[in-house]
Amino acid sequence: MKNRVNRLKYFTDGILKENPILVIMIGLCPTLATSTTAKDALGMGIAASFVLIASNIVISLIRKFVPNSVRIPIFIIVISTFVTIVDYVMQAYAPALYRVLGVFVPLIVVNCIILGRAEAFAYHHGVFDSFLDGLGKSLGFTLVIVCMGIIREYLSTAKIFGFNIGPKFLSTNPVLFMLFPPGGFLLIGILKALVNKFINKTPE
Amino acid sequence: MKSSAWMVISLVIVCLISGGLLARVYLSTKPRIEAQKQFELRQRLIELLPSAKQFNEIIRDTLWIGLDENNRPTGIIFRVAPLGYGGPIPILVALNCDTTINKIYIGSAAEGLKETPGLGYKVRDEEFLNQFINKNYHALSLVRNGGTIQAITGATISSQAVINGIKLGISRFAQYLPVKDSILIKEDTIQSIEADTIK
Repeated sequence: MKNRVNRLKYFTDGILKENPILVIMIGLCPTLATSTTAKDALGMGIAASFVLIASNIVISLIRKFVPNSVRIPIFIIVISTFVTIVDYVMQAYAPALYRVLGVFVPLIVVNCIILGRAEAFAYHHGVFDSFLDGLGKSLGFTLVIVCMGIIREYLSTAKIFGFNIGPKFLSTNPVLFMLFPPGGFLLIGILKALVNKFINKTPE
Repeated sequence: MKSSAWMVISLVIVCLISGGLLARVYLSTKPRIEAQKQFELRQRLIELLPSAKQFNEIIRDTLWIGLDENNRPTGIIFRVAPLGYGGPIPILVALNCDTTINKIYIGSAAEGLKETPGLGYKVRDEEFLNQFINKNYHALSLVRNGGTIQAITGATISSQAVINGIKLGISRFAQYLPVKDSILIKEDTIQSIEADTIK
């Protein structure tokens, strides 16, 4: 019984309590680069989630055979092989999807969340637990990156997912600053402060 | 000793498996990927010059002549990549036989556009692109230079680059159009545009 609660925790922890962007603070590079519009952010979220869940499963499957001293190079080979296969297959069989997600696929290789989860979790846990962890972490990642995309797109163009909704003064005087990396950093800072204040009340 | 040997062997095994897998996937998806690319290009060409039923490639991946069902040319499509603010801007231009622009297409970030999102990236907006439709060579310059094209706010360099690229392309490729005397551009004009583009 206790086991089941623990397992569920692997999944729920990733969403907010151990959110990859706002709490663990890894994978900031693709976050900043692709959260300029909500649509791009969602694309990156989906593509990264897919690779994260799959690489967690594969790495936890082969963990018994991987010598400790060369584990990092092996993880990187596994992850990049996986990303490249996804890239080719998507290009060949889902060109419509590729047109939307294609730019983000090579970026996933350098997403530290994936290597980070392989090293910190999948290498020490079973297949099902690793799957749950991957699912939770990718949900947390997608959630935050899409939130950032919506906020940055709205402030800089008065649109959300390409639909014009904002007041007129915002579309004529957009906050272009939010589109650039400093705006992204600022937003990550604000979101982290909010999460620290209201969700993870850690006594310091 | 045993563990250091296993270290090398495990790496070799992982590399071999991933290498083999990649080669397998690459070879089996390559024909489909190529076919997809050709299909997409063809769709793009038809979109740019709907009057043509068939496209003859004159210069590989750069210049196509559109032919109607009687094999008469209806226009040309060419590719140019002038230097914008962040890098080359990939542009496809369709010219009618009377050298007016039928339609232009600017590639997305996936196709190599490196302009600043929110500023130079707006060269892809309909609002900007529609200004080019049915214009000829001489009407192509920014409003502030006495022309008819309204530059994108905050992205004059990108707007100017698009214009320069299209003008350069017209002056180079208009000779492939069946009607030659409607546009006469001398060598020195071409050079001055090229100088503009570099500047």
